[in-house]
Amino acid sequence: MKKLIVTLAALAVAASVTVGALAAIGSAATDGASMAFGPTQRPDTGAGELLVVVLGGVYGSRQEAEAANAGMSFGDVQGYYVVPVAQFQGFREQVGAPGDFALVSVFRTQEGAEAFAAAAAAFGHPATVLPTRVRSLGGVYAGLGQEASPTGVGPLTQPIPASLP
Amino acid sequence: MGSMERLRERRRRRRLPIAVAVGVLALVPLTLGWHWQKAGWRDMHYNYPSTPTGYSQIVNRFGQPCNANASAISMSWTAADNGVTYTFRFHKKLGGYPTAMVPDKGGKSTNLDNDVYGHIQNEHLGQYTKSGIWGYLCRYIQGTTTWSTHAWGIAVDISAAYEPQGSCTSTVNRNFAHVFRNHGWRWGLDFCDPMHFQYAFGY
Repeated sequence: MKKLIVTLAALAVAASVTVGALAAIGSAATDGASMAFGPTQRPDTGAGELLVVVLGGVYGSRQEAEAANAGMSFGDVQGYYVVPVAQFQGFREQVGAPGDFALVSVFRTQEGAEAFAAAAAAFGHPATVLPTRVRSLGGVYAGLGQEASPTGVGPLTQPIPASLP
Repeated sequence: MGSMERLRERRRRRRLPIAVAVGVLALVPLTLGWHWQKAGWRDMHYNYPSTPTGYSQIVNRFGQPCNANASAISMSWTAADNGVTYTFRFHKKLGGYPTAMVPDKGGKSTNLDNDVYGHIQNEHLGQYTKSGIWGYLCRYIQGTTTWSTHAWGIAVDISAAYEPQGSCTSTVNRNFAHVFRNHGWRWGLDFCDPMHFQYAFGY
């Protein structure tokens, strides 16, 4: 009789623990405030590639560029990147304005650049697609990889013939 | 008046409310039909994909970010405050199916452009949809290298000028957020982004 009571008590404790654990897992999974993100993408600088630049502005210092960028909202998605202009060969020759830092986003395809420029314009921000591709010398990440692949299956994450020197 | 006539009169009086009730009942569907025909809109709820939870389910259901289907359908939405008509694109599984209101755009369902938009207009909530309306964008989440749900064409920002990211309260979108929620969407207010509506959970 004693054995039976002990067994039943153990079963009851085990059941309560299991139910509690399941409830905790369940509530964590459906918690409205929690945010689970997808995988982080590798920041691709496209070093050595010939890239299309969408230019949002040129500034004398990083601070000025950062301040200008902070004032350009693209809703909840990433807009321009602050980069030193020296990381792109052929950039200064195309941009009349002096300055060491620029707001840019770079692309491998003309279509990708034009789509972003159109979006920037729709947000009310300046956006100029530079007429000639520039050579990336590496440096800081400038938005590469955020464009549709011409195949239509996903993002373009590899060089294309037009971007290869 | 004979007793037969009185009986007939009584019967006639008894039948009158029944006849009125039958008439009203018959008129209700006719009136509703007329209203729908005039409005040109009906909530179809046709072929909605089940709302995915997490990255893997999003990819399984909607494909890779920035795929061709993610930007296959376009729709226009006029902001109530500045009168600007915003045209944006979204995933073909979330709209573009032909209805009385939407032409055939090659889409698979009636979710966004017919049902959600139609509901908001039909309930006279369009006055709360204000400037800054965006859809598909092949971009990362701000300040990260993680894909935004906009990159799948399964997110819409509305009233961006009034509902800044980071705000954990809502000023205008709260008036119509229930319509999105009732059609499988999650409102970004849950994570302090009240301009944002996305057809995904756990992301």
